[in-house]
Amino acid sequence: MPKYAMVIDQRRCIGCLACIVACKRENHVPEEHYRTRVVEEIDGKAPKLRMELRSELCNHCDNPPCVYNCPTGASYKDKDGTVQINRKKCVGCKACIAACPYDARYINPEHGYADKCTFCQHRLKAGKEPACVATCIGKSRVFGDLDDPSSKVSKLLREYSSWVRLPEAGTHPRVFYIRKQSRPE
Amino acid sequence: MELTIYGTNALTYPHLHIWDWKIASYLFLGGLTGGALVMSAIANLRKKKTEPHDKACCVKVPLIAPFILLLGMFFIFLDVERKLNSFWFYLTFQPLSPMSWGAWGVGAVIPISFLYGLSTVPDELKHWLVFDFLKKWSKKLNPYMRRLAVINFIMGIFVGIYTGVLLSSFVARPLWNSALLPILFLNSALSTGAALVIIMARKNEVKLFFTKVDIWLILSEITLIALFFYGHYTSSASHRESIMPFFTLSNEFFPYWISILLLSIIFPLVIVLEFLEVKGEHSERLTGFEKFRMNLSALLVLVGGFIIRMALIYAGQLIKMTDKIATKF
Amino acid sequence: MGISRREFIKYAALGLAGSAALTTEVFKPLSAMGLDDDRAIVKHIPTVCEMCFWMCGAVGRVVNGRLVKLEGNPLHPKSRGRLCARGNAGMGLLYDPDRLKAPLIRTGARGENRYKKASWDEALNYVADRITKIKEKYGPEAIALFAHGSPGSYFFDLVLAMGSPNISFPSFSQCLGARNVGYELTFGEDPGSGPERVDMENSRVIAMFATHLGENMHNSQVQDFTEAVGRGAKLIVVDPRFSTAAGKADYWLQIKPGTDLALMLAWLHVLIYEKWYDEDYIKKYTEGFEELKKGVKEYTPEWAEKETEIPARLIAETARELGRYRPNVVVHPGRHYAWYGNDTQRARANALLNAVLGTWGAKGGIYLKPQVKLPSLKGKPFPETEKESVAIPDKYPFAGGEGLTNEVRRATITGDPYPIKAWLVVGTNLVKTLPNQKETLQAIKNLDLLVSIDVMPMDTTMLADVILPETTYLERHDELKKVYAKSLGIALRQPVVKPLFEVKPAWWIAKELAKRLGLEDYFPYKHLEDKLRKQAKLWNIDYDKLQRKGYHVIPNSAKPYFGPDNPPKFKTESGKINLYSKELEAYGFDPIPKYTKVEQPPQGYMRLLYGRVPMHTFTRSINNKWLWELEKENHVWINTEVARRLNIKDGEYVVLENQDGIRSNKVLAKVTERIRKDCVFLPHGFGLMSKRLSRAYLKGADDQGLITRYRIDPITGVTGMRVNFVKIVKEA
Ligand SMILES: Nc1nc2c(c(=O)[nH]1)N[C@H]1C(S)=C(S)[C@@H](COP(=O)(O)OP(=O)(O)OC[C@H]3O[C@@H](n4cnc5c(=O)[nH]c(N)nc54)[C@H](O)[C@@H]3O)O[C@H]1N2
Ligand SMILES: Nc1nc2c(c(=O)[nH]1)N[C@H]1C(S)=C(S)[C@@H](COP(=O)(O)OP(=O)(O)OC[C@H]3O[C@@H](n4cnc5c(=O)[nH]c(N)nc54)[C@H](O)[C@@H]3O)O[C@H]1N2
Ligand code: SF4
Ligand code: SF4
Ligand code: SF4
Ligand code: SF4
Ligand code: SF4
Ligand SMILES: [Mo]
Repeated sequence: MPKYAMVIDQRRCIGCLACIVACKRENHVPEEHYRTRVVEEIDGKAPKLRMELRSELCNHCDNPPCVYNCPTGASYKDKDGTVQINRKKCVGCKACIAACPYDARYINPEHGYADKCTFCQHRLKAGKEPACVATCIGKSRVFGDLDDPSSKVSKLLREYSSWVRLPEAGTHPRVFYIRKQSRPE
Repeated sequence: MELTIYGTNALTYPHLHIWDWKIASYLFLGGLTGGALVMSAIANLRKKKTEPHDKACCVKVPLIAPFILLLGMFFIFLDVERKLNSFWFYLTFQPLSPMSWGAWGVGAVIPISFLYGLSTVPDELKHWLVFDFLKKWSKKLNPYMRRLAVINFIMGIFVGIYTGVLLSSFVARPLWNSALLPILFLNSALSTGAALVIIMARKNEVKLFFTKVDIWLILSEITLIALFFYGHYTSSASHRESIMPFFTLSNEFFPYWISILLLSIIFPLVIVLEFLEVKGEHSERLTGFEKFRMNLSALLVLVGGFIIRMALIYAGQLIKMTDKIATKF
Repeated sequence: MGISRREFIKYAALGLAGSAALTTEVFKPLSAMGLDDDRAIVKHIPTVCEMCFWMCGAVGRVVNGRLVKLEGNPLHPKSRGRLCARGNAGMGLLYDPDRLKAPLIRTGARGENRYKKASWDEALNYVADRITKIKEKYGPEAIALFAHGSPGSYFFDLVLAMGSPNISFPSFSQCLGARNVGYELTFGEDPGSGPERVDMENSRVIAMFATHLGENMHNSQVQDFTEAVGRGAKLIVVDPRFSTAAGKADYWLQIKPGTDLALMLAWLHVLIYEKWYDEDYIKKYTEGFEELKKGVKEYTPEWAEKETEIPARLIAETARELGRYRPNVVVHPGRHYAWYGNDTQRARANALLNAVLGTWGAKGGIYLKPQVKLPSLKGKPFPETEKESVAIPDKYPFAGGEGLTNEVRRATITGDPYPIKAWLVVGTNLVKTLPNQKETLQAIKNLDLLVSIDVMPMDTTMLADVILPETTYLERHDELKKVYAKSLGIALRQPVVKPLFEVKPAWWIAKELAKRLGLEDYFPYKHLEDKLRKQAKLWNIDYDKLQRKGYHVIPNSAKPYFGPDNPPKFKTESGKINLYSKELEAYGFDPIPKYTKVEQPPQGYMRLLYGRVPMHTFTRSINNKWLWELEKENHVWINTEVARRLNIKDGEYVVLENQDGIRSNKVLAKVTERIRKDCVFLPHGFGLMSKRLSRAYLKGADDQGLITRYRIDPITGVTGMRVNFVKIVKEA
């Protein structure tokens, strides 16, 4: 079984928001709800300003508090390492939303079930990349199998120092970030 | 820092509002039930009941306890987004989910505490039980009252503590994420339970006993609250930030600092009132004023317990563990 | 659950050599997609996006006749399998309930928003009838066309067939006209516009004036840019605002608005006087170096510091960075040039930098246009026009390209040199696009006929006498599109769904009008597709395959760089790069750019700057459900210190008032370190006035409303629009 992960190369993100729209159209995410977002942070005083662009989504944590807190087993860790929701079993109690340190989840306003990024599991099964990755203009989002040493994600994680969001939460995210600028030339 | 976020869910940004007064009410009512069960069990176990009046000292409380809990469950039901799916709570048991424990636990507490309630009804009050089968059951259960009381004591502790465990397990919400929270909730549960008994009890002696108990509970509750905030203050940045709404005098945080202010009036007041109670001379029959004073202090305890739940539920969703601590304060 | 393997194989076929039919029907379960049907017909249809003018290749996924998703066509060099936010949101336009649905004929006064529904026949007869009358009374040149984007081409033909030369597109005078002329004067050729032929993916140093890539979301160009960023290419961004691109830069030069020419001249000074150029190259391929050297002598970094407010040290340092890595560097030519009314000279200076650095035809510089010539279909020749075009008047000797919208407008107001009485407006929102709305409205008042061919009830549309609803780009065929990327390629736009409502494609509308005007011969096809097939045949392209793939690359057409087998030649008269422009000299303009100061804001005012936001295209996308939710209204960027002084808080509504006392709609303040104190930045496209736009109506402020003044560039006649000053009025 693969061990899916995403690497987000922040240096290459250009803040175009294509990922957000692609995700919404691919997954029929309702109006004003999102499975992924793009955060832009500016630090400093002009002319010394720094910009950080960071796209965020469910981390498909290895130690997922959302799953632990789900009273019905609707949230579960799948065999491919992704965290999924079985909508049939979901009672909409929102424990998972409270439990997620990353605000990755929302309640579907029409049907009441909890929802979030699935890593586009339906596309993975069809051999396609997640929609946000496939359209990422900056090729900032990279997807692949951690168990495969030749995958792009494995390579990136070998070559660059990466970080994860809120490591102190102990969730062991499967979405890694590369922030540091490197100058190979 | 200038922060712009594209693609935010209104539910989770700028801060999540997933749980509201419905859950706070449930937490309060759950705690109240737990406390009431424990206190009535204590009342029943304290000394051998021989006299019918003694026996009857704690009848109403156990009898209404399951209904309070049912009311609490009703609030949860209101809160759950997929009501028709609620049966899934009982098609599975998730050992890591406090909510699953809670669902099953509460599911068990309601019938058992009801049986306990039935068992406490003495013969001369059996006419309360309108249905014949209830009277019959009550009769059959009478001999098991003490055993049921022990079970209810344990279950009361469970109900009183699990809501705190539920909240404290969320590493994402620093205000809740404290090992002290379950203890604080339990303590508050017990004190509100005692208060309920004080209000419901008719016998002077019982009222007085629980007033004494309550003084200790309130004292420890104050200590726990202080320790709770101290613990957060000395913990991680997000923990520290999470308690700030309680200590920031601004319009934005009005509900929080006012709740602290209220608690710091209510609890000392309760102690004073209760102290006066215990110290005072009492005849067998209580005067109207004495009764009023006792009930008032107990009522204040209930109000305090509710404020704690409300404040913690809302404030806990205000500040979360974030990548960068906003410089709001 | 999940999408069947088969669908993926079909999909992947796009990128592979195989020719599996993309449009075959596949039966598959759709529960995974949240669609009710258990079985559905899924098709993947390649087409061309036109959410903006970059025109990327897109593939529509159509389920039971409904478009559910758009993705990039991996074969198309402008998308490379990816679409930007707007491209991804295409169905937001297609399924917008506010769309124009049937022909409308005005019943109330202009602008009163009262229309009656008409049949196509009725509406077309009405238009033809009016046009005939105007033609009879004033001559054919009284009919003018304003257009932008693909639908323009059929009306271009129609208007030429009528005998009128008065055709203009805002893409010249409000967009890239000055740039193209500046480059043509220098290299004999423009740097391309779709795409700009900038080899950023291979550049070692990239300098950008404004060009806010990332916000300016031209797909493949931004892909190239991020490629460069990912590789660690050095980036110099010159912008008064800390743009997204500036956020990636090694050097952000926070220039004082309007002084770019000073910086460019100082760079030239450093490059030349510190000898950062290739002497051999300059000798062999350029003309007028000594004059240039003399011309930029006085423009030292120290001098430029005073103008630009950029430290001289940084000016010199950045010039040296460019010089050090030449010729694998590029000074990005930019695109939107309609800034200050001296824009052609700025374009010249930009071109001169590339010339001195030797980037034309160099790897990482400006690559060469594919040289292949494709034969054109022969059609009936258009009649000679009797009168001079007002769109390309003599007084602006270098006007050209797509014509001057502002001149047609002026002539419509003044009737000089002759009256203009009818406007056909196709795919352009003139009220919002041309500076000084008052003039636009005044010109419209003078018209006997205003016909709008549009897809949405936009501001200009709702001033028209007759509104002819067009199909969106997802419902129609259009002319085959030549794509001058490194290789030449041909892209096909074809419908992914059947037209909704009673809308018709532009080619059909133009053809039907032609029929009614007796000009049918100019449209020698029954269906546009007949023409496309013929054309494909002429170009040796298998049309059926093109239908399946959406894109065809003309083999062996790429020759991006000069080299031993491709020695440098330039398309100027002399065959050399004109550092010194004799052409300009002949008309009395500076042959070497000279610095001219632009007017500064009066006390208490700030310069009004505008630009793009990544999720919107001008006015056209604001009402799009899936883009609107990302940015419902624009924010005016105000410097932190200014805001503090004026007591303005981030996120509060303010009103802008310009030098002429014109006030904007209320607009949210973005208080930020990211903009200079002497200017504000207001993204373009918002503040739409048409009530029929249920989402966009009066959301945010309209920059154009505040652009009551503009400066005309004397060389090309294009409009400079950054010459307005605003102060901030706090909302009462
Ligand atoms: N998302 C999106 N992308 C688009 C479009 C769109 O509508 N939406 N439109 C496309 C089209 S047709 C065009 S022409 C391009 C236009 O895009 P560009 O060619 O990049 O436009 P500019 O006007 O050159 O750039 C705007 C930038 O100029 C800066 N600026 C303003 N005044 C000055 C000045 O005096 N000096 C300098 N150095 N900088 C200044 C502003 O701060 C802003 O960052 O965008 C294209 N891309
Ligand atoms: N103030 C200010 N003015 C500017 C600019 C600026 O930044 N600020 N930018 C300038 C630049 S660079 C440019 S390129 C121009 C762009 O100017 P325009 O091309 O006028 O741009 P839009 O505002 O998008 O208007 C497009 C119109 O075409 C319609 N339309 C969209 N799709 C179709 C279609 O398929 N068929 C038909 N028939 N109509 C369609 C839309 O509904 C809308 O009415 O504006 C220029 N003017
Ligand atoms: S990011 Fe949140 S929702 Fe996703 S797996 Fe981790 S805890 Fe669960
Ligand atoms: S909302 Fe649904 S998925 Fe989340 S914890 Fe409750 S039952 Fe589980
Ligand atoms: S992986 Fe799929 S579901 Fe997750 S953010 Fe990307 S597109 Fe959305
Ligand atoms: S699509 Fe890629 S580059 Fe664009 S905002 Fe998303 S992550 Fe960044
Ligand atoms: S750049 Fe975006 S909107 Fe423009 S054509 Fe390409 S995908 Fe469409
Ligand atoms: Mo443009």
